Formats: sequence, structure tokens, C-alpha cells
Amino acid sequence: MAKHVPTANGTEMTGATSLVKSLEAAGVDVMFGLPGGAILPAYDPIYDSTIRHILVRHEQGAGHAATGYAQVTGRAGVCIATSGPGATNLVTPLMDAAMDSVPLVAITGQVPSAAIGTDAFQEADIRGITMPFTKHNYLVTNPDEIPGVIAEAFHIATTGRPGPVLVDIAKDALQKMTKYNWPTSIKLAGYNPKTTPDAQAITDAAALIAQSSKPVFYVGGGVIKANAHAELRQLVELLGGPVVTTLMARGAFPDSHPLHMGMPGMHGTVAAVTALQKADLLITLGARFDDRVTGKLSTFAPNAKILHADIDPAEIGKNRHADVAVVGDVKETIAALIPALKAALAKNKPDLTAWLRQMNSLKSTYPLGFDTPDDGSLSPQLVIQRLGQISGTDTIFTAGVGQHQMWASQFISYEHPRTWLNSGGAGTMGYGVPAAMGAKVGAPDSTVWAIDGDGCFQMTNQELVTCALNNIPIKVAIINNESLGMVRQWQTLFYDSRYSNTSLESKRVPNFPMLAESMGCVGLSCERPEDLDKTIEKAMSINDQPVVVDFRVHRDAMVWPMVAAGTSNDEIMIARATAPDWDSQEL
Amino acid sequence: MTTSRRQHTLEVLVENEPGVLARVAGLFSRRAFNIETLNVGPTEDSSISKMIIGVAVEGHSLEQVIAQLDKLVSVISIKDVTPKAKEVHDTQPDYQN
Repeated sequence: MAKHVPTANGTEMTGATSLVKSLEAAGVDVMFGLPGGAILPAYDPIYDSTIRHILVRHEQGAGHAATGYAQVTGRAGVCIATSGPGATNLVTPLMDAAMDSVPLVAITGQVPSAAIGTDAFQEADIRGITMPFTKHNYLVTNPDEIPGVIAEAFHIATTGRPGPVLVDIAKDALQKMTKYNWPTSIKLAGYNPKTTPDAQAITDAAALIAQSSKPVFYVGGGVIKANAHAELRQLVELLGGPVVTTLMARGAFPDSHPLHMGMPGMHGTVAAVTALQKADLLITLGARFDDRVTGKLSTFAPNAKILHADIDPAEIGKNRHADVAVVGDVKETIAALIPALKAALAKNKPDLTAWLRQMNSLKSTYPLGFDTPDDGSLSPQLVIQRLGQISGTDTIFTAGVGQHQMWASQFISYEHPRTWLNSGGAGTMGYGVPAAMGAKVGAPDSTVWAIDGDGCFQMTNQELVTCALNNIPIKVAIINNESLGMVRQWQTLFYDSRYSNTSLESKRVPNFPMLAESMGCVGLSCERPEDLDKTIEKAMSINDQPVVVDFRVHRDAMVWPMVAAGTSNDEIMIARATAPDWDSQEL
Repeated sequence: MTTSRRQHTLEVLVENEPGVLARVAGLFSRRAFNIETLNVGPTEDSSISKMIIGVAVEGHSLEQVIAQLDKLVSVISIKDVTPKAKEVHDTQPDYQN
């Protein structure tokens, strides 16, 4: 790749060239996009740029690919689209990125400034549309403002709590001449995220931990965002208390670690869910008390005091009162907490033996498991478990949304941060394939598996064409249960098995291997347990082309454990109508 | 009728730029906060506008309203200027009919 040569301020150029020079100055090395009329002036200088532009087949694919890239690299992902429908196709990925705090910069073309407000061809008020789920957004009509706005957009997207920023630029601002002017500093009167925690808050936090006899580390995705996994492990081992990692935090703490109780929440482990319910203190690190974790909020962790460390002050007390709040970057927070806790423990070290014995007893009594179908058909959980075991812990996994996503969070052992990418807050079906594309671009030397459902796959599989043509050899495992499986599970449990509109018949149509072949991928299929390992090994051996495997699995498998929506975590079920045997547990 | 509604008045300085009213109004709407009154005007600095927002806090804490407002990049500062509960100077005679 040609090395980026900085452009001198004051150089005359078009707004479009100024945009591309600004993106280069911001350190962008790749962007995902699709041109159209209003953004077309920008595509001319893109043709000459050092930035790799990957031409997607749908703008939604560009947005999720940028997210996958960002989640793997920790840098801002960039997507670019034209006005109107091009821009509105980015709405879902922007909302997705906002929910999961992903640094994203989206560039959209807008109709010429004189036409704004006239219902012009391909005009949409994308700034207005995206206000609720961008961290900030801009409409630029003056070409002189382009470098400053781009610099601000990257600053806002990547600092504080990360999030998406949209920059909408009128076509005439791209066409007019301007003097390039990259800012030397960024001053935003209304934006100054606090990263260093207050010393008093750290002291209070350490004191609270040292008083607790039933603490739990409630670890959220913020720990991965802040690259705080090493500090987390030190803190955990210093105290020796149990850990749970949320859906967004899988990989923040090694699954193999004896203090790890698993994932909490609607489909969490009995040990993780019970740890939160029975704790006297939640050491909450970069997590936000999401309803999928808390269950019925009024009965969540009823005896626990709350230590809440988060970079976003608005998360403190939003869903659950915090007894001690620490606002700041969670990496800085944990780093400060380690010596403070050492000092506090030197004075008073609580005995956690009984608490750990209880937790370990739950962990060994109620491990995650699944039934093998007695008709000899393929179990979806087994497919996912073997994918994890065969491809190893350096593999990056993405998922769509539904049963396959939950099984992928349960039955793969995550040992490293940034190896598990999924749509947690938004629950965006179709996230898996384009996110895998972006992840593979960000980490070309890693194996990237998208674990997808047959429903999800049919929403965004067109990006496999992009992968095939751009040498992005991802691997896709379709967990084909010919259903919208999670919805079907809810129909089984809550709607008297009335399967209204959840049968996709995708063992008949489409033919996934043929579809894959038509898009320039290798298409494989597997439906017998005895073929499972050799099919995965075959897929692992192909590295010059994307591979799609149609795993035709048993239809009636369900995700367990489960806390039904709106109910208390205390009502966790380990199988249909089966609660854990609490009487045999000393809790 | 007795309710648990509490009235607060916030003085909010914002960037004087297109769309800023939509940002603030949209935030109140989507977070289900209640605006009772809203007044927007200029300040001595033409790049900054002042909003006086009457908020009825119900089901949310004032801290949450302020924290969410503060997340808007266009919002520069927020001050709670709720008048202190006035001492009651009852100058009217009581008519007990």
C-alpha cells in the first residue's frame, strides 16, 4: 500500500479531495461503501487514494463490516454511502453500533444545498433520522468545514464511550473549491469525556469490596473496548472472587479460568445468574444493567450493593442505583483500583471460601449441556461446540441473532478479547456475514467464522460476493434448522406451539451450497454427526476462497438455561419446566 | 390530585446551530422525559443559545435527565435553576365560607 503523505494546509482542492485527504489524515486505511449520485464527487479522489475502498453489495453490509472491523481492531470503522436510500440503508448498522458502543464514522452524500428541503431526488434528512442513535452527527454545506468536521467525527467516535458519528455532506460542498485545513487541535465546548476516575471514588470502591463476603465481578463489553482485560485479570486474582462476563464481554476474561462462572442473563449459566442474585456486592465494570442481564429489574440482585464503574455518567443509576459510582475509563479505573484494593485488603481481607464453594458447586452441578437428538440427526449445539474446538481459541467468531448466537456464546470457549463479535443490544439479524467480512479485513491473518442462522443468512449473504471478489476468505457456518429458531422456541414455550410464520423451509429452498457457489464461494453441506469433523476440517483447509457450510440440524433444539422475558432471574429454567434443584444447594 | 411529579428548571447553554432544538426535544421525547415549558433565546455570545427548560421529573431522576442532556455534544452546560421553595407570605385574608 502506498504510504500516506500528509497534505499541506492551505493547498487548494475540491471539497471531495479535502474529504479524502482528511480521511487519510485521520488514519483511515480501509472503508466500506457504495457510490451514488450525491456522493459521486468523493469517489473520484477515492480512486487515487491510499485508502482501500471495498465495494459492498448493500450499504447495510458496509455498516456492519465497518463495525466488525472496529470490534476486531479497536479503531474506528468507516462506511460511505450516497444520499436517500443509500443513507437510510445505514440506519440499522448505526443503531446497532450505538447500542454496542462501537466507534464508527459514516460518510453520506446529501443533495446539493440549494435542493435541501425540496423533496429532491434521493433526498432524505439522514441527520434528523440518525439523531437518536448517533453519538453526534453533522450536515456540512461549506467545503471549508470538511477537515474540521472529519477530525471531530473521529475524535468523538473513538473517545469516551465509543459510538457512531455520521457526517452528511451536500454534493455542492464536495464539488466546490476549498483550501485544505486539517486542524492542529480539537476543541468542543460540549464534549469532554472524563477518563480519569476520582481518587475518592477509588478509595470508596476499594473499601466497599473489602467489606464484601459475596462479591461478583459483573463484567461488560466496556472492558474489551477499553483494552482492560489484563488489568481485569489482575484485579480478579487479587480478590479471588467469581466473575461473570456478559454477552458483549465474552473473551474479556478467559472462559478456562476457574473463577469464571460464565455468562449471566436470559440464557446465562445457572452459576452466573445465581452469583448475581445471591451476591452482596456487584463489582460492575463497563456494563449497563441491560434487561437481558437483569431480568425483572425489581428482583435483580436483591441483596447486593452496587459498585458501578463506567465511562458514561448517564449509565450510573439509569437502571439500578449505584452505592459507589466510579466514572472514568475502565482500564484506568481498574489500574487505580488494584493498589487501592491491596491496601484495603491488608487491613481487612474477607473470607470468600464459603461463597466460592457455593458458586463452584453450582458450576459443577449445572454445566451447560445439550441433548443429542435420538433420531440420529445433527445437534446444532454440537456443530458449534466442534467448530470452536477444531478451529481453536485464536479464531474470531461472529454471529447473527437468535438461537445460533446464544449457542455460540455458550458452547465456544473464549480465551481472548475481540474474538467474539455479535449484535448484543440491537439484536440485528443479518449482522454475522458482513461483520465477519469487516473482521477479516481488520485481522487478515486470523481465521474468521461467521456462525449464522438460516434466517439471518438470507438477510445479508450478498456480501459473500464482496468477499469472493476482494480476497476476504471468511468461513460461514449456517446452522440450518429451517426456522426462525428463537422465535419458534418462544412459540413452543409461550404460544402453545402455534408456529405462525416461523417456518423458513430452508432445507428445500434456497440450496445454500449452490447459492454459495454462485457467489464465488465454496459450498459444503453436512447433515450427519459422523460427517461433522471432516466437514469442518475441509472448510478449515480452504483459505483462498470464502467457504459456506450448510449444517442441516435438528429443528427442535432449544436454548437453555432460560429466564423468560419479564420474569425474575430467580425463575431460571434449566430445561422446559425444570428449575434447578435449589433445595440441594446451600445458598 | 397528588402526584409525585417534581418541577425543575434547567438553564441549558447550547451551540447555536441548526438542529439543536431537535436534538434536545428528541432526547426528551425518546427517553420519556417531560418538558413542561421551553424557552430558547440568544446570549451575548452569538455562537451560544440559552434554553430554559421546565422539567417534570416522574419516574426518572433529575440526575438522569441532566446526564443524558450532557451527552449531547451540542449541549455546553446545564444548571439547575429551580427556584427554592418560596416562603409563603400569605397576604390574602382567608375566607372560610
